[in-house]
Amino acid sequence: MTDTHESVFNLTFPFSRTLGSTLSTFFSALAQGQIIGVRTGGRVIAPPLEYDPNTGDDSGTDYVKVGPKGTVSTWTWVPNPTHLHPLNTPFAFAFITLDGADTPMIHMVEVESETQLQAGLRVEARLKAPGDCQGRIDDIISFVPASDPSPSAGAGEPYTPPAELEITEMDSYCDLNYVDNASPSTILWMNSLMQGKLIGQRCPSCTRVYVGPRGLCCVCAVELDESHLIDVTDSGVVTNFTVITPVQYHGQTETEPFARCSILLDGTDAVMAQQSILDVPASEVRVGMRVKCEWVPEGERNVDDIDNRGRGSGGGCIRGWVTTGEPDEPAENFIERMM
Amino acid sequence: MARSENDIAIVGFAQMKPERRSQHTETEMLLPVVNDVIAQCGITKSDVDFTVSGSCDYLSGQAFSFVQNVDAYGAWPPIRESHVEMDGAWALYEAYVELLQGHLDIALAAGVGKNSNSDPSTLYTIEFDPYYLTPLGADPWSLAALQARALLDSGKASERDFAEVVAANRARGKSNPNAQVTGDYSVDDLLSAEYVRNPLRKHDLPPVSDGCAAVILARGKRAYDLCENPAWITGIDHRIEAHLPTMRRDITVSESTKLAAKGAGVDKAPIDVAEIYAPFSFQELIIRDALGLSDKTEINPSGGSLVANPVMVSGLTRVGEAAKQIMNNGKKRTLAHATSGPCLQQNIVCVLEGDK
Amino acid sequence: MSHTPVAVVGVGQTNHKKKRADVSIAGLVREAAYRALADANMDWSDIDAVVLGKAPDLFEGVMKPEMYLADALGAVGKPMFRVHTAGSVGGSTGIVGANLVSGGRHKRVMSIAFEKQSEGNAQFALGGGKGASIGAGGAFAPFIRAYIRRSGAPEDIGWMVAVKDRLNGAKNPVSHLKLADITIDKVKESPMMWDPLHFLESCPSSDGACAIIFTDEEGGKKASKPPAWVLGTSMRSEPSTFAGRDAVRPQAAMDCATDLYNQIGVTNPREQIDCAELYVPFSWYEPMWLEAHHIAAPGDGWKMTQSGETALDGAFPVNMSGGVLSSNPIGASGLIRFAEAATQVRGLAGDYQVGGAKLAIAQAYGANAQFYAMWAVGSSLNPLG
Repeated sequence: MTDTHESVFNLTFPFSRTLGSTLSTFFSALAQGQIIGVRTGGRVIAPPLEYDPNTGDDSGTDYVKVGPKGTVSTWTWVPNPTHLHPLNTPFAFAFITLDGADTPMIHMVEVESETQLQAGLRVEARLKAPGDCQGRIDDIISFVPASDPSPSAGAGEPYTPPAELEITEMDSYCDLNYVDNASPSTILWMNSLMQGKLIGQRCPSCTRVYVGPRGLCCVCAVELDESHLIDVTDSGVVTNFTVITPVQYHGQTETEPFARCSILLDGTDAVMAQQSILDVPASEVRVGMRVKCEWVPEGERNVDDIDNRGRGSGGGCIRGWVTTGEPDEPAENFIERMM
Repeated sequence: MARSENDIAIVGFAQMKPERRSQHTETEMLLPVVNDVIAQCGITKSDVDFTVSGSCDYLSGQAFSFVQNVDAYGAWPPIRESHVEMDGAWALYEAYVELLQGHLDIALAAGVGKNSNSDPSTLYTIEFDPYYLTPLGADPWSLAALQARALLDSGKASERDFAEVVAANRARGKSNPNAQVTGDYSVDDLLSAEYVRNPLRKHDLPPVSDGCAAVILARGKRAYDLCENPAWITGIDHRIEAHLPTMRRDITVSESTKLAAKGAGVDKAPIDVAEIYAPFSFQELIIRDALGLSDKTEINPSGGSLVANPVMVSGLTRVGEAAKQIMNNGKKRTLAHATSGPCLQQNIVCVLEGDK
Repeated sequence: MSHTPVAVVGVGQTNHKKKRADVSIAGLVREAAYRALADANMDWSDIDAVVLGKAPDLFEGVMKPEMYLADALGAVGKPMFRVHTAGSVGGSTGIVGANLVSGGRHKRVMSIAFEKQSEGNAQFALGGGKGASIGAGGAFAPFIRAYIRRSGAPEDIGWMVAVKDRLNGAKNPVSHLKLADITIDKVKESPMMWDPLHFLESCPSSDGACAIIFTDEEGGKKASKPPAWVLGTSMRSEPSTFAGRDAVRPQAAMDCATDLYNQIGVTNPREQIDCAELYVPFSWYEPMWLEAHHIAAPGDGWKMTQSGETALDGAFPVNMSGGVLSSNPIGASGLIRFAEAATQVRGLAGDYQVGGAKLAIAQAYGANAQFYAMWAVGSSLNPLG
C-alpha cells in the first residue's frame, strides 16, 4: 500500500518552424556571417522583426548590416545553466545594441566572471562556421568582450539579400520535465489495482458510480472520499469502441490499427473507457461482447503508468480484457452507454 | 453613491491556502473553493449565470487540461461557461464584460494553477519569442534580472530597496492565513544571500505555489442580496506592451500599467489599499510608480505574491484581497493589479469602491 | 442597459494550407488580420482591442503565444485577451470580441484565431505527449456509431456529407482542400481511419487564421461594405463523462441552440434560418448537429443530408464554405464558421453565396463534444421582419 506516488513525465517534441521572409533573410544572412537589422519607423531594429512593434505596420525590407560588435546596456549572470541554455558553463544574458542598430537584442555574453560585466561593455559576436549554422539565434554562439572597442566596420550599410534564401525553417526541440504527484483518489485506485480489484466511488447525492475514483462527482459538484468507495466487478459488456489507424508522430508507440473499448461493468452504471481486448482482433471487436478483466499476476503488477490523467486505466496491473465465451448482449441495449 | 443596474460588484471571494506542493489535482483544488465562494454568497450553483476560469495547459504539459476543471462546477444541467489561458484576473474581466451585457446577474470567475509539477526556470522559456528567445533558453528569472539591473543602473532603486520590499511583504504576510512564505527577516541578512540571477537573490523571486481562487460578481441591486457591502468595480482596464523587452522604450517604467491605471480611473480619488502582483520584488517598485499611488496607500496587506504565487491565480487573488478590504474591513476605495508575461509585459488594474 | 448592436464590418482569412511554409506564426496571423482590416477599410490604429483564440498551445509548442503576437497584431498599448475553450474556441473568441463592443468597452475590436498545425503534430498534442493517442477521430467514432444505430441512417450519409463539403470547398478561394473531383466512391474507398470514419470523411490538418472586426451600430451603418449584424450569441458547457450523458445529442448543444433561437425570436429554425456553418470535422456530425441544434427532428437529420437540403442549392445549406472538412486550422475553425455565416448575410460569399441569405447561424464545439458556442448574424437588425 502506498500513500504517495510521483510520476515523471518528459514532454519532448521536435517542432519545426517556418520563418517567413524577414526571419529567413536574417538567418540566411547570419549563416553567411552577416548580422542584419531592418530600418523601420525611423530606427534600425536588430535582429529584424517583420512588423514595427509600435504600430503593427510591416517593417519592410530596408535591411541594414549591424555588428558584429555592440554595447551591453543591461546584464545578468546565470551561475548554473539549465539543460535549455545553449552554454553549459556560467554566462551572462545581456541587452546588446549592435553597432548600426538603435534597439538592443537579448543574447549571451561569455566572460570569466560576472565582475567583468557592466553597462557600456563593448562585446563582439562569436558566430558558428557557415556550414554549422542551423537557422537559429544560437548560430550566434555568444558575445565576448571586444578585443578592439572601435566601431564595427560596415555597420549601418544597406544589406541586399540574395534572390534565393538559404534558410527558411528552424528546428525547435521542446524538452520539458514534469513531476506529478498522484492525488488521494488516484492512490486509492493504484492500491486497489495492485490487489487485483476494481473500485469506484458512489456519489451520495445522485448515486452515480465513478470507476476509478475521481474524488468528486462532476454532476453534483460534491467531494468524494474513502467513505464513498465501493468494490465493482471486473466483468462487463463492450458498449462501444474505436479502432485507430495510428499516424506516426514523435513518441508514437503503435504501428498497427488498435481498438479501444468502453466497458460497462456488471452491476453498476460505470464505464471504463479506452480498454484493450486481448483475444479479439481490432477488426472484429463488437458492441455487446461480454468480457472480463485479465489481471497481471500478483507480484508482477506495477502502477508506473498510472497518473492523475489515467485514473480509469489499468496500467501495469490489467493486461486487458478477454471474452467470456458467453453470447453477446443485444447491441442496442448498450451502444449508447459510452460513459 | 447610487448604484445602477450597469454597475458590477465583487460580492464573494474564496481561496485555497497556497502550498508548495498540493496533493490534489487542479480540479480537486477548485471544487471546494468554488463551493465555498458560492456558499459565502448564500446562493447555490444554479444561481450562477456565467462561469469563467483561467488556467494554463503547459503547467501540466497536457493539452486541454482545463477541460477536466469543468467537473468542479457541477456543470449539469449545462452551464454558460468560458475559459481563458490567462491569470484568473482576466477571467474576472471576461465575467465583468459578460455581466455588462445586462442579461445575466451573477458570475463566477476562478483561477487555478498547479505550479509544482514543473520548473519555472525551464517551463517559461517557451512563453517567449519562439525565434529569438526560446532557443537561447531565456528564462523568466534572467529576463527579470535584466530589468532589475536596468532599474539599479537608472539610480531609481538599490538592492537594499529590493530586500526591503521582500522583508515588508513577508512581515505583512504573517497576518495572512493564506500566505506560504512569511516571517521577520532583516534586510542585511537578505542582502547576504547569493545571487540566483545577479542582481536577484532567491528571496527576490516568487515562491512556487499550487493554488486556486474564485470570486463571485453580481450586477446592480442583486449584489446586495449576496453581500452586505459589495466591492463595486468602478474602473477596470488592461493593456499590453511590446513582447521583447528590448523593444520597449524604458524597461524601468511600466507603460502598460500607466495606461491601465488611467483607464481604470485610479487617480480620481485616493486609494486606501493596493494589492499589487509583482512576481519579482523590484517590480513592486516599478508598479507602485506606474500606479501613481500616494504614500498614504497601504500596499499589499496580504504580503502580495512574494508570500505565495500560484501562477494563473495570483492576479485574481490580488483582486479578491482588495475586494475583501471593502467587503470585510470597511475600506472605501481599493485597487488590484495583476501582471503577465516577461518583464511586466501585460497589466490589468481594477479599482473597487464600497458604499460606505 | 444601453448597449449597442454589434456589426461585423471586416472579415479576413489566410489561404489555408497543410503547411504555410512561406510565413512565420506572426506572418500567418497578420495575413488574416490585414485582410480583415482591408475589408473594413481600417488600419491598425483603428482597432481598440484584440482578442486572440487558439486551441492547445501544445500544437505549436509556444505557451500563451498571444504574448509574443501582441506586437504583430498592433496591440501594443491596447488590451489583448486570450480565449481557450477547446475546439469551440474560435466561436468563443468571436463572442468575447462582440461582447466587448456591445458592453460598451470598445468601439472597434478585432477577434483573431489561428493554428499553425504544421509546426507540430495534433495527434501528439491530443495524446498528451504520449504514445497511442486516439486523436479526435478516435474519440468521436463511438458517438457516431451510436448515432447511426439510433437514427437508422444508411451508411452513405457520411460519404455524401464528405462529398458535398469538399465540392463547396472547391468553390472557396481560401480553402485548404479543393477536391473538385471527389466522388462517393472515392470517399468510400479511402482508407478506414477510425471505424466507421474513412480518411476522406475526416478533416485535414491546416495552417490558417481568421480575423473578424466588430464595431458598434454607428460604425456598422457607416461601413463601406454591407455589415453583418450580430443578433445573438450563446455558449454552453457540460462535463466530459458521467453516467447518463448523451454524447450523441448532448444537452449542452440543445440548450445552446434553444438559448440562441430564443434571443432572436426563431421558432422554426429550419424555415426561418437561411443557412448554417456548423463545426463538422467528421462527416457524420452534419446530421448529428442538425438534430442536436433543433434544425431537424430527432432521427431526421440524415434525411436533410440525403435529400440534398443541406447542399449549396438546397433549402437549408450547411457549410457553404466547405466547412471544417475542407479547412481545419483547429483553433481558427470555429471563428471561420462565425466569419463565413457573416459573409453570407453580407452577400460577399462569391461562388458559394446563398442567394438572399438574411439570417445565418454558426456553431463550434469542442473537447469531448461538451463545449458549444453559437451565434446568429443578420443582414439587418431585424431580418425576420
